[in-house]
Amino acid sequence: MISLESKTLSKKINIHLLPTRKFKTVLVSVFLHQTLEKDLASQTALLPAVLERGTREYPSFRDLKIKLEELYGAELRADVLKKGERHILSFSLEVINDKFAPGENLLQQGLSMLKNLIGDPFLENGVFKREYVQQEKEQLVKEIQGLINDKVNYALESCVQEMCSGERFGVFKYGSIEDLEPISPESLYSYYRELLRNNPIDVFVVGEIEPDKTFALVQDIFDFPRDAGRGDLPPVEVYRIPKEVRFKEEFLPVTQGKLTLGYRINTSYRDDDYVDMLLYNGILGGFPHSKLFQNVREKASLAYYAFSRLEKHKGIQLIGSGIEAENYERALEIIQEQVEELKKGNITHEEMEYTKRGLISQYSIIGDSPYSLVSFFLDGLISQRETDVEYFIGRIQDIKEADVIEASRKVCLDTIYFLCPEDRKGGIQ
Amino acid sequence: MELTIKENIVLEEKVYSAVLDGGPAVYVLPREGYNKKYAIFSTHFGSIDNTFRAAGDGEEKMTLPDGVAHFLEHKLFDDEEGNIFDRFAAYGASPNAFTSFTHTTYLFSCTDFFLENFRLLLDFVQTPYFTEESVAKEQGIIQQEIRMYEDNPEWRVFFNLLKALYEKHPVRNDIAGTVESISRITKDILYQCYNTFYHPRNMALFVIGNVSPQEIVNEVAESISRRTFPPFSEMNRIYPKEKAAVNEKKIVEKLAVSQPVFNLGFKDTYTYMEGQQLLFRELITELLLEMIFGRSEKLYTRLYEEGLIDEHFFSEYTAELSYGYTLLGGRTKDPERLHEELLAGIRGIKKEGLKRDSFERHKRKLRGEFLRSFNSLEFIANNYLAYRFRKIDFFEVIDVLEKIRLEDLQKRLDEHLIEDLHAISIVYPFQ
Repeated sequence: MISLESKTLSKKINIHLLPTRKFKTVLVSVFLHQTLEKDLASQTALLPAVLERGTREYPSFRDLKIKLEELYGAELRADVLKKGERHILSFSLEVINDKFAPGENLLQQGLSMLKNLIGDPFLENGVFKREYVQQEKEQLVKEIQGLINDKVNYALESCVQEMCSGERFGVFKYGSIEDLEPISPESLYSYYRELLRNNPIDVFVVGEIEPDKTFALVQDIFDFPRDAGRGDLPPVEVYRIPKEVRFKEEFLPVTQGKLTLGYRINTSYRDDDYVDMLLYNGILGGFPHSKLFQNVREKASLAYYAFSRLEKHKGIQLIGSGIEAENYERALEIIQEQVEELKKGNITHEEMEYTKRGLISQYSIIGDSPYSLVSFFLDGLISQRETDVEYFIGRIQDIKEADVIEASRKVCLDTIYFLCPEDRKGGIQ
Repeated sequence: MELTIKENIVLEEKVYSAVLDGGPAVYVLPREGYNKKYAIFSTHFGSIDNTFRAAGDGEEKMTLPDGVAHFLEHKLFDDEEGNIFDRFAAYGASPNAFTSFTHTTYLFSCTDFFLENFRLLLDFVQTPYFTEESVAKEQGIIQQEIRMYEDNPEWRVFFNLLKALYEKHPVRNDIAGTVESISRITKDILYQCYNTFYHPRNMALFVIGNVSPQEIVNEVAESISRRTFPPFSEMNRIYPKEKAAVNEKKIVEKLAVSQPVFNLGFKDTYTYMEGQQLLFRELITELLLEMIFGRSEKLYTRLYEEGLIDEHFFSEYTAELSYGYTLLGGRTKDPERLHEELLAGIRGIKKEGLKRDSFERHKRKLRGEFLRSFNSLEFIANNYLAYRFRKIDFFEVIDVLEKIRLEDLQKRLDEHLIEDLHAISIVYPFQ
């Protein structure tokens, strides 16, 4: 396994290096943490789009792109991530190894562009350029509305928004159209300065690098003022026993119904028994050998896909399946039966073993991709559970059936959401 | 069994290969330091191979219901005891498969028990087991897969475009077929296709990860030797004669979307090509599209700032043995205007001529992107075989790219992006 070399700068900036010769590229990821909050989300989501439009040195998107293409198609991106109740600005740079481009200094040049992107945006009258902000607001409105184009994700997101309507987690990754409206170049720029000054920053560098040289190069990105004043971001709210199951159905002109069930697993990534819950989820719906795939698809032929997945920080499990509307009740019954089977302890030796092996494989290959390495360590930082892949593999090996049953008792159904074809209106209760 | 070693110095990769007597071509790319092992087994049989003369002379021409290749892919996962997912699961592997227009691929990835999993892959792909009951059962599942795609606007707009471009070529049909066409699939049809197209000579394997090439080739040789196959005759795939002109200028549909989804395609003038010649055509066209529609070009910025496109806008070229087309697409508030603007952009480039600095820059970018994608084991394996079915050595991309001159692109611009040979497809929101 690739090991982490970390260093904390005086200004609450943590730099983590993952030196390895496995990859053809070097990846640099910078994460600027913010809390997920309705009032802030639209601003946070708008920032990466506006920043990507230009820097002082490369004033337009086109200037930036031209320079990146000269660096052998280097990737430089700003994005926003939702992880639990964190809303994280992510900046990343990926360049091919310098040895593939003799005479160039791709990493150094790329880092200087990354520095530009984060700390030296294109300004007009001391704030973000008006047209850039206006155009990106319009694009973001379209992005928010465009969620509906992807019905599988739309159904999952709708279930989450219904289930967590009163919680921070219920806030959509791209914010909302109404909150986007009042944002001005002035307000957005001062919001960004605040974030840069105060919020925690983590940096990862993965690839063929010399640690000392890289620490120095990376430090140079952060030559803007930082305070060490503000405390940590609020923790994610996890534990909740729903008083009753919520139902929501929505009608759209579609041909396939999408059934989504949201569960509270009352376990978060930082909890010791998170690994038990991983196994619970795996047996239920994480693999083709799992109960959902085998029963909803293979035995009953009701669906092409039927899966369960965890939101590891928030402690939510989602089950999703695409079905004929007329099969709604049958599918719902089969899905709930599978959950009950687990709670009753009806778990075969094969289900246990196969799921363990499948999960161990998933952990074992994290080191084979720079992006999954970064994502794994970032998850650890967010939940203050800084551990390595071997820890998880060891824990998975030791889990007993009783641990899974114990975990299953914490799982409560919260919300059933059904995206229903319009012509079936009135057909289901 | 003698192995051939081919090294690419630029990519720093070595591929070991062997063509077994009467068996499939086998390729192995060892990657030390990786835990993941990824293996694929492909047959040169895809959704467009729906009319053919089966093995043996004088056999009658047969035409399949749409969706057979894909249906067969699903059913091969069955055996007498049920399905083989469980057996891969026992070794911690993750199996899967996919069907494209031109080929069908079975695969797994794993970290441990590589040989056990590899044997399982060889076995299940070479052991068909179809019954009337299992065919009927699968119809329900595939029906839901088809329904899922019916609600997918990007998928719909793309297949409508292919229907607009092509009058007869089977690329115009959905890969999974329709709810109606799959209801006509029987176990006999599946066996017939299996016996014709799953001959080892029509198939190839690629394995990548920390594995031993010799061991893999031995396994394949052993597996082939346990089976008997009829003598191989290059099956007679029959594609209808396709006219040069597009079939329809425009196809429109309505779906539950937030704003219109737009595709524009240029039908390539058909001349049969394969190997390096085809690769050359693919790369010059991709470079050309980058130079007109790329993100660093003025046209992109203008359309973006006017809100006619967003970051999902794309351009791509597909170069197959029996067809080729350029595809542009994205979401837009005004498809009619975007349509005009894109055509005007091409006219503008034709008038001004292609610029050398832009050419060199995009060439650099393609080179870097190609290298970058070599971080992914799946990317390498899947492409290696997909290119091989077109008689292209995938690693030659880097060398062929270097040979391209600006004049090649200029010529391609004039011969391919012709207004008369384009069609559009739009998915509008319901009012």
